[in-house]
Amino acid sequence: MILVRRRAGGSPTGPARASRARNTEFSAGDKVFQWLAGVAAVIPVAALALIIVIMVVQAIPAIIYSGLTFFTSTTFSIGHLYATTLTTHNGVSAPQDASYGALVFIVGTLATSVIAICLAVPISVGGVLMLSEWIPERLQGFLSTFVDLLAGIPSVVFGLWGITIFGPFAAAHIYPTISHLGRFIPFLKGPVGFGEGLLTASLVLALMVIPIVASTTRELVKRVPVLAKEGALALGMTRYETVRVVTIPYIRSGIIAATLLGWGRALGETIAVLLIVGDLTLLPHSIFASTSTIAATIASTLDSAFTDYTHMALSALAELGVLLLVISLATNLAGRLIVRRVSTDALPVGRGI
Amino acid sequence: MNVRRITAVSTAAVVAALLVSACGASNSSTTAATATTTPTPVATGNPTSPVTLTEDGSSLLYPYLEELETPLNTAYPNITLSPAAGGSGKGQSDAETGAVNMGGSDAYLSNGAEAEYPGILNIPIAVSAQAINYNLPGVSNLKLSGNVIAEIYQGSITKWNDSAIAALNPGVTLPSTTIVPVRRIDSSGDTFIFTSFLSATNAAWSSGPSFGTTVTWPSVSNEQTASGNPAMVTTCQSTPGCIAYIGISVEATAITDGLGEVNLENQAGNFVLPTADDINAAVAAGATNVPKDLRQSLIYETGADSYPIVNFEYLVLHKGQSALPTALAIRTFLTWAISPTGGATAANLTKENFVALPTSVIPNVTAAIDSIYVP
Amino acid sequence: MESKRHPARHARGIIFWVLCGIALVIVVLPSAAIIIGVVAKAIPVLRVTLLTTTTRSGALGLQNAIIGTLTLGIGVLIVAGPIGILSGLYIAEFAPKRFGGVLRFFSEVLAGVPSIVIGYVGYLTLVVRLHWGFSLLGGILALSVLIIPYIIKITEVSFAQVPRSLREAAMAVGLTRLTTIRKVLLPPALPGIVSGLVLALAISTGETAPLLFTAGFTDANPSGPMNPVGYLTYVTYTDVSLPSAGAQALASASAAVTILLILFLILGGRLITARSRRMVARLDV
Repeated sequence: MILVRRRAGGSPTGPARASRARNTEFSAGDKVFQWLAGVAAVIPVAALALIIVIMVVQAIPAIIYSGLTFFTSTTFSIGHLYATTLTTHNGVSAPQDASYGALVFIVGTLATSVIAICLAVPISVGGVLMLSEWIPERLQGFLSTFVDLLAGIPSVVFGLWGITIFGPFAAAHIYPTISHLGRFIPFLKGPVGFGEGLLTASLVLALMVIPIVASTTRELVKRVPVLAKEGALALGMTRYETVRVVTIPYIRSGIIAATLLGWGRALGETIAVLLIVGDLTLLPHSIFASTSTIAATIASTLDSAFTDYTHMALSALAELGVLLLVISLATNLAGRLIVRRVSTDALPVGRGI
Repeated sequence: MNVRRITAVSTAAVVAALLVSACGASNSSTTAATATTTPTPVATGNPTSPVTLTEDGSSLLYPYLEELETPLNTAYPNITLSPAAGGSGKGQSDAETGAVNMGGSDAYLSNGAEAEYPGILNIPIAVSAQAINYNLPGVSNLKLSGNVIAEIYQGSITKWNDSAIAALNPGVTLPSTTIVPVRRIDSSGDTFIFTSFLSATNAAWSSGPSFGTTVTWPSVSNEQTASGNPAMVTTCQSTPGCIAYIGISVEATAITDGLGEVNLENQAGNFVLPTADDINAAVAAGATNVPKDLRQSLIYETGADSYPIVNFEYLVLHKGQSALPTALAIRTFLTWAISPTGGATAANLTKENFVALPTSVIPNVTAAIDSIYVP
Repeated sequence: MESKRHPARHARGIIFWVLCGIALVIVVLPSAAIIIGVVAKAIPVLRVTLLTTTTRSGALGLQNAIIGTLTLGIGVLIVAGPIGILSGLYIAEFAPKRFGGVLRFFSEVLAGVPSIVIGYVGYLTLVVRLHWGFSLLGGILALSVLIIPYIIKITEVSFAQVPRSLREAAMAVGLTRLTTIRKVLLPPALPGIVSGLVLALAISTGETAPLLFTAGFTDANPSGPMNPVGYLTYVTYTDVSLPSAGAQALASASAAVTILLILFLILGGRLITARSRRMVARLDV
């Protein structure tokens, strides 16, 4: 694989920092300004530290109370608040029969985000390849505007569209066909419902991930060395084979990075999923079933968490939050580290939510 | 130099974070004031500058508060009521933390909450009820008992033509439709009074899910969920065979949407509807048992005509208020709200199918309102 | 000249490109479908009264929500803007390389924090522990924490993209660090920074989760930093579960207005970025 770096006068190649030169002249005003800027630079670090510390400290009682059942139990209940006794595990007291098992949410989160990624990545890559190989240049900008638009649509609008327009439409026209496949794959069988549930949530999530992967892929495809492609064509390969042999290997690590970034987004997505997935603490027995995710549960339970006077509900939500933090930070970081090496200005836009 | 700077910055950040979280680590609430200080007398009347009273919570109470906004503003131009829905659990939560001035709740606070937030008040402003609705076109005047409804929500009775239901409805042709129980998914006061009713009539329910604003619902294969009273109506309306518990303030919509109203069996064995008379019968039977702190629902009361699911609509708030104008506005609003010439006019109450507070309870309510002070 | 290709190769190519064509349609269509669908559902309430009345019961208006969203956005610019820009500037121009890398790393980590976690922390610290209750300021702070990493990144990249020749010229002339930044580096970096701020505004217009737990909601126009504030995404979020036709239409209208605002901001940002690229290219000698 030949890496040809093009140098157009002045624009940075590779990590931009390498081209920086700084002078060393300082005035008094400089020192003040530098100090001010330094303080500003510390603020995000402090905010991050605050968030992590608060989440972890809040989560500790629930961690002690639940132990490993957090990962194995499918019951998430804040307990009988009007009972006269408390339940105590490992020295921590919670309302009677309180149980903070997160298995349903872990499964829901993973199921929705994995389905979303499995759909979004091939579709984004395929679409971008089509766009760059076959669509005339003038039209490319026009069409990619639609992708940028998709990036800008807020999460709550995805939720609204998903539950009121797309869900019912899909349930009426698309899902019955899928549930016929239930004869071979039991998970696909089941009452199709009115559009709520795991599948619709995953599909909408896929739409939210597509812009991230597509815009990164576009940037990557632009940088594929023309010489290599032309060489392949000269050897008599079809366009498909050129893509397969030259383009895809070149962009592969970037795609992986973008996938991780998109996955990070899908994991942390709250509002759209909350509106569509049905918010039920039940393991999904079919792909059309209602279930819940970690983020959706935190959002729907937080506002009444203080009815639990032992504050264990609050703690359990923090434990969920810590879990969510850990898995989305891990995927996000992995993705960003790789993306930065590959392209400096492809900033995945559209945070939504 | 770099390493030192890095460690300095990160240590500073972490220390700051720990300090902030440590300061707040104590769980005791600081919005409640101690009762030992001499209360500053708080009068009632129009405040001198505009005050907005924020409220959120019960979706059963919400339409009533919406109704009260304009007359309140007319009577006291400087008091504006800003209500919102969100479920009784949210109302209780937000009132406890002080995020809103008053929390609307169909459920009184639990003993634990009372202990955690000393000085928190449960002030009823009206009496409301809950209907059980069903979607069976062609079947009218359905009769059910709490015991049967509990079994439906436990999944033991799954078809409308089950023998237990048929036994209560002699002579009625019941279809073999599958029953679809609909329940609230948010932390709901309606759930509280519904499950209180089920606990009072079915032993398995009482020892199992019991009652509360959220409970561990037994898993029933067809059950549906809805968030808020209005959504209960639409979910039931679009699901043939459904049964749902719906707060009486949205009952009018339920009826016009074609849902039937269940005649519930009361303690005397009679089947009654949530009419004003039958609600008042329950009130008459239960009012004398209401404790001084007003924390009681009027569930499954004795009396030939008593409707079995009747409750107080509470506004939850802290006794000790931080600002005088707010305390004044709250006292004024509450006094006005329970007065038959102020907020609790017959017209306002009937619009939501509520009834007025029983006279025996009013002295305790007034005492609670008068205990609001600024420490 | 057209090669005697093995029909299987040809077929494979066709299948692949047909699939890619379908993929392209799936990538391009939804945004239009969503916007059209949402606007169509909003039509019953798309009247002038949408802008002149508030969400107060009965009146189907969005005035308080629109003003609230804009107020939140301006607040975020005021809080996150300077912090983000100064931060990005510090990393780009002042910090020694390793330290800058560390700061950048933490900024990226912050960007990965899910917004519901920020909502939780904001709720616990601002609403409960500090006893602010639901407040405009709380919403602004929560959003700012969300947004700062994006501003930092774009500011940093904008400064890094200033041509090396300009820096060397400034050094040759003997300008101080601050003057270099102010007079030489800032002008070409500014359009990039501004587009970063515009992006920040767009993101904050569309956020819901952090605001749900910090800003509360009110039917009145914004009345002060410590009072709750209404915003568009809340109306969409709550009214979508309200069954009445008016509420459904209002939810869609709110969504449509939100999209409109974001569209306006995205297009504005793109115009600025396009201008900046031309400017930077011109500056390089």
